[in-house]
Amino acid sequence: MRQPVIPRSRRLGFNMTPMIDVVFLLIIFFLVSSHLARQESRIQLPLPVAESGDEEELSNRPRVTVNIEEDGSITMGGRPVAPLDLENRLQLAKQELGEDLEIRVRSSRLTPYRQVQPVMLACTRQGIWNITWAVWREEQ
Amino acid sequence: MVRIPAGHKDRENDLDSTMTPMIDVVFLLLIFFVWTAGTQIVEYILPNQLSVQTGNLAADLNDPPPEQDFDKVVIRLRWDDGLPDWSINDQPLESIVDVANTLQSLARINLDAPIVIPPDPPVPLGFVIELFDVARLAGFAKVSFAVTPEP
Repeated sequence: MRQPVIPRSRRLGFNMTPMIDVVFLLIIFFLVSSHLARQESRIQLPLPVAESGDEEELSNRPRVTVNIEEDGSITMGGRPVAPLDLENRLQLAKQELGEDLEIRVRSSRLTPYRQVQPVMLACTRQGIWNITWAVWREEQ
Repeated sequence: MVRIPAGHKDRENDLDSTMTPMIDVVFLLLIFFVWTAGTQIVEYILPNQLSVQTGNLAADLNDPPPEQDFDKVVIRLRWDDGLPDWSINDQPLESIVDVANTLQSLARINLDAPIVIPPDPPVPLGFVIELFDVARLAGFAKVSFAVTPEP
């Protein structure tokens, strides 16, 4: 007896290649964008040098970074801020992030103290008492 | 002898061929992130608690941390012809090393004394932080900067 010939169907299967492509593109996109977002608050500045600098601890305390360049220009949270607008921005940040807000001051070591004073004054006026200075432990 | 069906072998080959570019990409990503992380300079932090002295600022401040009434050590930092000039409680000092030595002597007497640093406005922040650092290294915990409110 002749066996019935069953036509061999073409292999149907889930093609993984485009899925892997898309997943990798997404991973690359998110990794690069998070990397760039982190870099945004890390403007290249020659920071002051201090031997007693503490290592940064992981904490849940809300923090805003204020960068002060040599010419006195200020960026807060990666955005430029006019000196007169600084207090409003700090007030908003405090309302948004809470009373325990920490201000991280990243300033060039060449910035005159007169350019840093307004930031400290604005902090005290807004009742923000915790500030930390970003430093290097040795000259880079 | 059992023969492995041809379809099974094909599937294995397919899986091999799709894994190779994936591993390539993963390694490229690893290299990229390891390299970028390695070029970043590690930053450290100096914590500083701000406080307010009576009469310095407008009265609309809410709950400033209280300032204790010990004898203060005032370290003046002036900027004289592009060079820093230090004095502790109006006693002039030659260099930052002298400042460090004096502070260490003071720390042995009263480590709780508050240190106040009123730098001249043109002094670069690097020298101000250097002074703050020296005071911290001497063991003083209450180190604060004086600021002059704008008119």
